Amino acid sequence: MDEDLMDILCCPLDKHELELDVDERDDEEILTGTLTCTECGEVYPIEDGIPNMLPPDMREEAPA
Amino acid sequence: MTDEDEPRLADIRETDQVYQPAEDSHLLAKTAAKEVGKDNRVLDVGTGSGYVAQFVQEQSDAAVFGVDLNPLACAEARERGVQALRADLVSSFCRDSFDVITFNPPYLPSAPEGVWDDWMETAVTGGEDGRAVIKDFLDDVGRVLRPDGAIYLLVSTVTGPEAVTEAAESAGFEVTTLAEESHSFEKLLIFQLIPTGE
Repeated sequence: MDEDLMDILCCPLDKHELELDVDERDDEEILTGTLTCTECGEVYPIEDGIPNMLPPDMREEAPA
Repeated sequence: MTDEDEPRLADIRETDQVYQPAEDSHLLAKTAAKEVGKDNRVLDVGTGSGYVAQFVQEQSDAAVFGVDLNPLACAEARERGVQALRADLVSSFCRDSFDVITFNPPYLPSAPEGVWDDWMETAVTGGEDGRAVIKDFLDDVGRVLRPDGAIYLLVSTVTGPEAVTEAAESAGFEVTTLAEESHSFEKLLIFQLIPTGE
């Protein structure tokens, strides 16, 4: 995930800003980390360079 | 070897679980790419394999993001060099984020006789009338599209283009048909949706 994405990402639940915590990055992008809503505190994981912006109740692997 | 060590079905059938580029993808990609400038920020909704996003990115040199509900699709789009994220339609983007939004939606009416209940079904079916996901998209997309932006939406005659036009108009868009292509059981259309500002 490119850090520029932070300019346009928001919490899917309340549309508030997110705070980025980076665990692992390479030259170009963030590979692992979390995005935390500054309002509701919900945490969205970044894994393998892909942020998972689904609310917790939609995160299971199988389709609904 | 325990059960946990066995590859999951979705891993074995990975390519069967991600919608692969077809006629509809090609028509959307080539029609939208002509309309995108290099300074545009573009979102491809339901990006699937990432084909449309990659094509638009290569043709226009614009920044293109791809969003999908399916984690396997996100991984595949990322492999193509698309900035991928997993989310439900446009729900995780801020107001006025994009100049251009492309969407090849799940549009087939659900088969009444049964469901597959897998990612491919989620990728192709749009409820009883085929328009359920399009309606959810139209409800929220005006928020994330810039006032001078445009949406390129693939619509099939199977999905009822008149009903989609009505839904788009009541969501505050002016609808123009930019391209048409006939295939065996359907005609594919590319709608351009421009916010009316009302």
